[in-house]
Amino acid sequence: MNREAEGASTPRRRSRGRPWLVLQLVLSGSLLLLFLLPIYALFTYAPPSEILSAASNQTVDTAIWLTFFASGIAVLAAVVFAIPLGYLLARRAFRGRSLVESVVSLPIVVPHLLVGLGLFFLVIPGSPLYRFTTAIGFPVYDTIWGVVLVMVFVSAPYTVLAADLSFRAIDARVIEASRALGAGPATAFLTVSLPLALRGIVAGLLLTWARAVSEIGGILILAYTVYPGGPYNGPVTSTLSVLVYNLFQAGDLSAAAAVSSVFLLIAFVLFVVVRLGERSGWVPWRRGELAP
Amino acid sequence: MTSWSVEGLETTLDHFRLGPVDLALAPGHVTAVLGSSGAGKTTLLRSLAGFLPARRGRLLRDGVDVTDLPPEQRRLGYVPQGLGLFPHRTVERNVSYPLEVRGRLDARVRARELLERFGLTPLMHRHPARLSGGELERVALARALAAEPELILWDEPWQALDVEARHELGFVFEELRETEQVPVVVVTHDPSLAFSVADTFLVLRGGKVGLTTDAASLLAHPTDPFTARFVGFENVYDLPTLRGAPPGSLAAWLAPRSGPEGVAFPRPVLSPGSGSRGAWTGLVRSVHPTPEGLALTVRVDPLLVALRLPPPLGTGAPSVGATVAFDVEEKSVHALG
Repeated sequence: MNREAEGASTPRRRSRGRPWLVLQLVLSGSLLLLFLLPIYALFTYAPPSEILSAASNQTVDTAIWLTFFASGIAVLAAVVFAIPLGYLLARRAFRGRSLVESVVSLPIVVPHLLVGLGLFFLVIPGSPLYRFTTAIGFPVYDTIWGVVLVMVFVSAPYTVLAADLSFRAIDARVIEASRALGAGPATAFLTVSLPLALRGIVAGLLLTWARAVSEIGGILILAYTVYPGGPYNGPVTSTLSVLVYNLFQAGDLSAAAAVSSVFLLIAFVLFVVVRLGERSGWVPWRRGELAP
Repeated sequence: MTSWSVEGLETTLDHFRLGPVDLALAPGHVTAVLGSSGAGKTTLLRSLAGFLPARRGRLLRDGVDVTDLPPEQRRLGYVPQGLGLFPHRTVERNVSYPLEVRGRLDARVRARELLERFGLTPLMHRHPARLSGGELERVALARALAAEPELILWDEPWQALDVEARHELGFVFEELRETEQVPVVVVTHDPSLAFSVADTFLVLRGGKVGLTTDAASLLAHPTDPFTARFVGFENVYDLPTLRGAPPGSLAAWLAPRSGPEGVAFPRPVLSPGSGSRGAWTGLVRSVHPTPEGLALTVRVDPLLVALRLPPPLGTGAPSVGATVAFDVEEKSVHALG
């Protein structure tokens, strides 16, 4: 009798859950559509032949190279400066820590046009910092270093936050064990903390890179046009985002769409490679994971 | 062979103050640190390991002051609570870690020897997440010994171990004492294993050393409610409970025998068939079989008293709701505090 009652109640319970599931699917699906449709529109606006010719265009290639090079340096800067800051926030209790945490989130919440403006006032020709950066060979205004500076400003916080969370998630007793068993603070960091946090940090670096390549607001002000200087010796150029913006402003919509498509394809391939690498286990940060 | 001594060591962690602690740690000598939760057991271990700066006092290794030495220079075999194994390293690389970080070229060879000794060779390529509790314990101990320690600090060795693994760990300890000749400090909650391995007992209460003694005197003279329960005195009553009891009751009889922190006595033994003889009577509230016979809880207002009926258990064992009479031997009653 019991079994019959159960058998009768199970389908009813399922059908009661169905509207809830449908609602979830509709809401999630709407958002996914919003993500996908503009990309679809972008890819289909320009004919494939125009995308191909954009990919082989010298101006576009220069802008792509500049953007990827500058964002690569921004990611390196995040490795060097953001990981230590994340570690400090996660492992040290100090007065004013919440203030430092707020400062770290500042670049995320401040409109990026204002960031560009602030940096511009700092390095405006004639300012002490302008003279200093020029003297040491890192001129910022309208150079690749300006692009890098803006990118680091807006994107490094993602690595700081990811590193902070990842280091915080490590059991402090595991680190104490390594210290008591003979590892100095630096060795313990390199052999225990870093490997265990690496996966989260790499996720943060990916976000940092994504944020850096897509930056436009600050770059519009600080390095709208990029002149040769520093590691860049090519023709006068701009970042990819600025190039697309200029094409759009000039009314050349299909060129803007073609250039955007090229950029999206490259970014997509990069992301897929990283994700596949993660899944196959050949990337080093996968090793930090707990065995199943 | 290294001897350590702790002299008036005091430390603080946030608002918690520990110490002063005085302790002599001889080679091969096992000291068990006891105390209820929050008594400062782990804090003491962490301060011996060098993670908490000493506010006062000294830690001496063979007479040399090492109070300010960082943890990595103290030559410790440290096993924190939860073991602190490295989840990203295999068993082999966990064990070789202390040798690797000292740049020892024979790290692998030494690690393999230890793996062999602890029966871990078949598991050496596994990660800790795929080991059982007993296996993890052995890895932690092998790793601690790989550090070629001059002092072993072990926090809650028997936590989360099943009965068999606990038994095995007892033997490991015996072997450790014989082969390593290193002082060992263990923090524990577990009386039976503490009594089987420890030479000295340090009882902590609210960050202060309540008692430093050997097993015999700890068993004979429990001095506070925690140690009384630890040594198996299941009847522990505080003074406010005893005061104001009706004259002629068990509580009233215990009150003058109590110290400032109350009174304790082991389970009185009911002799079979003696159900109706004894100075005190009470109503049986619960009956549980144990390896030592039947464990009874009896209400003797306002107290609940634990009694024991030794085997063999006949058919006439008291049941819940029955009335039993029992005696409390005067010499078994200990004043606390």
